Amino acid sequence: MYNFDAGLASETSRRRFLRHAALGTAGLAAAPALAQQLVDLKLPGGNAERPMTSAFPGKGSMILQRVHPPLLETPMDVFDKSVFTPNDQFFVRWHWADIPTSIDVETFRLNVFGHVNRPLSISLAQLLRLPRVEMAAVNQCSGNSRGLFQPRVAGAQWGNGAMGNAKWLGVRLRDVLDLAGVKTGAVQVRFGALDQPVVAGAPDFEKALDIDHARDGEVMIAFGMNGEQLPLLNGFPCRLIVPGWYSTYWVKMLNSIEVLPGPDDQYWMAKAYKIPATPGANVAPGARDFPTVPINRMIPRSWMTSLPDGQTIAYEASIPVGGIAMGGDCGVAKVDVSSDGGRTWYRTTLGADEGRYSFRRWDGRVPLRRGANPIMVRCWNTNGVAQPMKPIWNPGGFMRGNIETTTIIAA
Amino acid sequence: MKTPSPGIMAAGLIGLTGIILVSIGAPSSRKAPAPISETSEPAPPTSVSARGFSLASTSVDLPVDDATYPDGPHADVINANCTSCHSASMALTQPALSVDQWKATVTKMREVYKAPVAEKDVDAIVAYLIAMPSQKAAPATGKAQDPDPKVAPDVSGGTG
Repeated sequence: MYNFDAGLASETSRRRFLRHAALGTAGLAAAPALAQQLVDLKLPGGNAERPMTSAFPGKGSMILQRVHPPLLETPMDVFDKSVFTPNDQFFVRWHWADIPTSIDVETFRLNVFGHVNRPLSISLAQLLRLPRVEMAAVNQCSGNSRGLFQPRVAGAQWGNGAMGNAKWLGVRLRDVLDLAGVKTGAVQVRFGALDQPVVAGAPDFEKALDIDHARDGEVMIAFGMNGEQLPLLNGFPCRLIVPGWYSTYWVKMLNSIEVLPGPDDQYWMAKAYKIPATPGANVAPGARDFPTVPINRMIPRSWMTSLPDGQTIAYEASIPVGGIAMGGDCGVAKVDVSSDGGRTWYRTTLGADEGRYSFRRWDGRVPLRRGANPIMVRCWNTNGVAQPMKPIWNPGGFMRGNIETTTIIAA
Repeated sequence: MKTPSPGIMAAGLIGLTGIILVSIGAPSSRKAPAPISETSEPAPPTSVSARGFSLASTSVDLPVDDATYPDGPHADVINANCTSCHSASMALTQPALSVDQWKATVTKMREVYKAPVAEKDVDAIVAYLIAMPSQKAAPATGKAQDPDPKVAPDVSGGTG
């Protein structure tokens, strides 16, 4: 007997399969396709041109920062089209080059172990049957905009596109931890994944959250992204979602959840992704030997996306401008815009509220003068924190959040 | 895009059959049937689903990067040592960094990330890096921003 729903589902799956088969062919011919057009990220000091690429599986046109392991940046014009970033243009960042390229949904297991009463090995079929939650949340790399730091610092030289916003569908981490039964005395939960270092002895990429954070009911294990399964390069079959926190914690291809009776003292928590323990993670350029803490909550940011930086337009007395804002670890309260270097600010209208961890659209209007107009955007979050005018500096190039300027030339 | 070959279409058909059978089974825990042919066609993707959401097995090919470091002092040494863990673009896209910053980076690759680089090659690699055309601008700072990875927290930005 024909089952309508099953037929529909299998049609979708079949299309997905054929698409993958076709992509497999494309992958073999990837090398010549890598260098297409160049984009200028306008990083201070130059060396800012990057090729665009469409050679990665499940990915459309992306800014190529590194092929191996992949670093793919989202072009800024993508953020002008919707507050939700399409899966095929969502940024990609991997630490280690040993990335599984094949995931079998029947044999994959998510293991929960350590300081628990009942260690679990959860199949995806089981995960899909747990109570569901869906949440819009911005996933932003700790080093997003690192290339804009002055003085410049070492690391992936991202422009502003190492971020994206999606509707994440999955289960509460708390529910999974409760199934395993966290023992008294648990301090942190450490998350591991299927990707592995290429060389023996190198530190496997694992991150940890405090047990109370892990159990706050917001941290999720997501298997859905904007209504579809995750692209493999964004962590298929499931990844951690840590709303309001930088994406270093959003472990992709999550397969290991280890409850710890003490703090995680391994490399990726103890040594890497550390920020100065100073207001705004700011230190004087060249400073060293300052106390550090693991990077954590995000801060408010905003961008104008309606016109690209450096665009020349015909002079008008005023023009409409628009873009996106994020509150960081809370919602967006208001967004102001200026076209005179920050002396006069104009209120903007906020778009639909998709949740406090989501991007939010803003639209406004600014007066123009003939010549170069520095258009600045400032977001205030619902905790009353506003973006500062002055950029911070730290040697990791983490947590940029100052007011960004888009220059429009009115001729 | 190429038209799928008959083989791929056949595999797709097998996949379709398998998926329908799996979908009919109540908690989708049933295995897909064995392929009816014994050729080396790629296995059809399996899927699991529950409560209106499906996950399909996924297999991809990642692009291979065969780009090398362009000519420069000791290009042979850096090409022999610094292309397997990461693309050359990682170094080529860096801003102008000081000699100390480059030394700290290569040291971190060896000592923290366990890159199998012989100690005798470190100076040659650093010599290449500081001679890259991108390094002609003044270094970002005159001071090493990267502390010794053995004794200090790693805040050198090699991550993120």
